Amino acid sequence: MSERERLQREMDRVSRPSGERPDNSLVMTRRTFLHKSVVYGASAAACGLFPSISTIDMAFAQGGPSFKFAWLSDTHLYPKEVNKRFVEKTVRAVKEIQAMNPPADFLIFGGDLAQLGDPVELRLGADLLKEVTIKKVFIPGEHDWYLDMGATWNKMFGASPWTFDHKGVRFIGLDTVSRAEDFWTSRKFTAKERMGHMATLDGTLGGAWAAVGADGLKYLNSTLASWPKDKPVVVVTHNPLYEYYPPWNFWVRDWLPVQEILRPFANVTNIHGHTHQPLYNEIGKMRSIGMLATSWPWPYAPEGVPVLTKPMIRADPGDHFDGVGWSSLAMTSGTRVDYEYKMWRKEVFAQADEDSGTGDNRNQVLTPRIADRI
Amino acid sequence: MTRKMLRYPIIAAAVVALLLVATDTQQVYAHKEKHTADQLEAFHEAFMEQVKAGDNLFHGDPDTQKRLGVKLSNTGMACAMCHPYTSDTHPHEFPKYQEQMQKFATLRDMINWCIEKPNEGEKIDPDGEAMKALETYIYWSNRNSKLDPGRH
Repeated sequence: MSERERLQREMDRVSRPSGERPDNSLVMTRRTFLHKSVVYGASAAACGLFPSISTIDMAFAQGGPSFKFAWLSDTHLYPKEVNKRFVEKTVRAVKEIQAMNPPADFLIFGGDLAQLGDPVELRLGADLLKEVTIKKVFIPGEHDWYLDMGATWNKMFGASPWTFDHKGVRFIGLDTVSRAEDFWTSRKFTAKERMGHMATLDGTLGGAWAAVGADGLKYLNSTLASWPKDKPVVVVTHNPLYEYYPPWNFWVRDWLPVQEILRPFANVTNIHGHTHQPLYNEIGKMRSIGMLATSWPWPYAPEGVPVLTKPMIRADPGDHFDGVGWSSLAMTSGTRVDYEYKMWRKEVFAQADEDSGTGDNRNQVLTPRIADRI
Repeated sequence: MTRKMLRYPIIAAAVVALLLVATDTQQVYAHKEKHTADQLEAFHEAFMEQVKAGDNLFHGDPDTQKRLGVKLSNTGMACAMCHPYTSDTHPHEFPKYQEQMQKFATLRDMINWCIEKPNEGEKIDPDGEAMKALETYIYWSNRNSKLDPGRH
């Protein structure tokens, strides 16, 4: 058994409430599939079993009012004279969010507004986001943070974590990016050099930087202490709250205590950025949904793609509006949240292995880079 | 074969021999002697130097670009931003017909297409030092992949 398989089994063992059994609904069928996949190691290619839908059903507490909210993240803005494309795409997303009809109740910005944490980039982002007049809440990404360790970000967009309740749903925003081990002081790196390493997804010096952290865990525990166990909780983070692919920080390193805190709650949804691709997973009773970036799509990781993910169609590198976009979520009748990727192309999901970012990679074996250590 | 016909190969061989002597041409041998451990280490070092240079170029390092006289991007984008660990570069699938170029393409053709189109950079010499380094890094990163040319 590989180390990854062992960890995935451990994650399932810890997260799945004892005695829980699948029922006959579609959701439970998915759970059955997850359970089998964990036990038998089913391949991601088996995701073709799922219907080609762009919405994901999530069981929320019954009887609440319906509402919509929007997600935007990973705009990765450079100063506009360096890269006009990222500005164009952010402008397009912002206009579309503002034009939602009926309007969204609020916008969640999920981190990586800037590419290199430059105040010029952050100010550009703030200016573009002024177009959206509904309530906006923010969590940081690592690209926003490591030039000045979050000073400009917190000043402009407010500190995390935060909690607010909206129409019977508790929304919690966590900072998962600020807890990298100090690799820069002993090497006498400048702030720009530190930022450069942290802005490189496949860099090695940043290590396993993604974490909720001891203070974040304490906050999560306390903010949920008074919340009824059967009422819906939405946790928004930059990184996914499970282990997908640690070398690219497609995880938080303290996912285990996070899951332990969330386990008693019947309806938990984690919405996250950072991965720049459609992703879906279920860990115990927590559903996890990966959002699109507006900037560029990341390839699916070489391993660890959740078997419940229906992969996106492979993006056309010649079209910078392909494989990217924003996301709309709508809670209907207080029982479901319909989720829609607003990807700027007609097709979102791959219908065949050869058109996907996962199934077409069966002969690919990758080696982690070493040049930033030699 | 007649005696007259036999004369031509003999004359040709004599001419070649004379030319070799006249121009003092030396034949270059490879693998004449068994490699020593030092030689193998030197070969590996030379290879890894190219891997490192290619990795630096792939990750947009300005100093390496300046040293090799190339400008791989004018958008702030680096190759690794779409291809961490060189994901989805698929060097083991080249050569193949490449739809966006509408031609049968090598990995070097594809590298130059990416530099020119998504990165809006300046096309590089297909036989130059920068191309060799990029190619070396991409192959090294995919060295355990199964060779499967022509696959899509």
